[in-house]
Amino acid sequence: MNTLCVDGRAIALDQDGFLLDLQDWNEAVAQALAEREGLALEAEHWEILRLLREFHAEFQLSPATRPLIKYTALKLGPEKGNSLHLNRLFKGTPAKLAAKLAGLPKPSNCL
Amino acid sequence: MATLHLLSHSPFADDRLASCLPLLGADDALLLSGDAVYALHANTRQRQALEKLPETVALFALEEDVRARALEALPARVTLVDYPGFVELSCRYERVNSWL
Amino acid sequence: MARSMLVISRQAPWSGPSAREALDIVLAGGAFELPLGLLFLDDGVFQLAAAQQPAQLEQKDLTANLQALPLFGVESLYAARRSLAERGLDEQALPLSVEVLDDIGLSALINRYDHVITI
Repeated sequence: MNTLCVDGRAIALDQDGFLLDLQDWNEAVAQALAEREGLALEAEHWEILRLLREFHAEFQLSPATRPLIKYTALKLGPEKGNSLHLNRLFKGTPAKLAAKLAGLPKPSNCL
Repeated sequence: MATLHLLSHSPFADDRLASCLPLLGADDALLLSGDAVYALHANTRQRQALEKLPETVALFALEEDVRARALEALPARVTLVDYPGFVELSCRYERVNSWL
Repeated sequence: MARSMLVISRQAPWSGPSAREALDIVLAGGAFELPLGLLFLDDGVFQLAAAQQPAQLEQKDLTANLQALPLFGVESLYAARRSLAERGLDEQALPLSVEVLDDIGLSALINRYDHVITI
């Protein structure tokens, strides 16, 4: 099993590097996950990660790309809710990578 | 326009047939296979319901399932088909709705 | 033009995998931008009852998932009037915005789609 070490705490990951337990997430964990992906989290990343946590709390699932774009547009406006912005922030795979960094399960409808 | 509805569960243990009948459009058809052919059994409410369908609704049943269950004195309106006939029907209708 | 599909979901939400399977088909199709419809029929309308608590059964909350359908591009949601009435569900009090159809409307609905599957 994969584990991630954050502040002396071992956190369980699945084989693709997603958190096994949503409750393990905090900002330090997100930082550590982002480092594994070679990504430095800026304010623009954080607002998407928080949005994803909200999406999951509301709908109990991880969004595929299109719903992520729609939801972002709905909550943060169209200048952020578009594929260009999200692809730029999350290395071209926003649904998968942002879900991972937000501690959500892997989106099951990203086939 | 028309849909071929495909049923394979016994209408005595299950409500798929009862649920399907009110949804049949005038040109739709019903194909019974497996235990769904028990709906053709004489002296049953299920058979009466089938006989009461508008005449424009075509009724088919898979012959081997009917024969295997020794169903006789079938309603005049039912057409028995074999598997090649089943395939032909699936192509003839615009869509097949399988009641899984 | 992509072929359209209507998924008819006719099982109650917590007793087996069928309701989840119907929803998964629709969510996956929505991700591919297919023109999809979802019809709640028979016990499937119990998926629309308000304030359910699947956590009591240690199950994932399908009813919360349903709320995400419009975001997944699935906005053609329907329920059978007769199924709702038979089960004592008030069509005015559903937590999801669905078009409620009587039998004739349902038969016309089915005949509008290229593919139909009933689960």
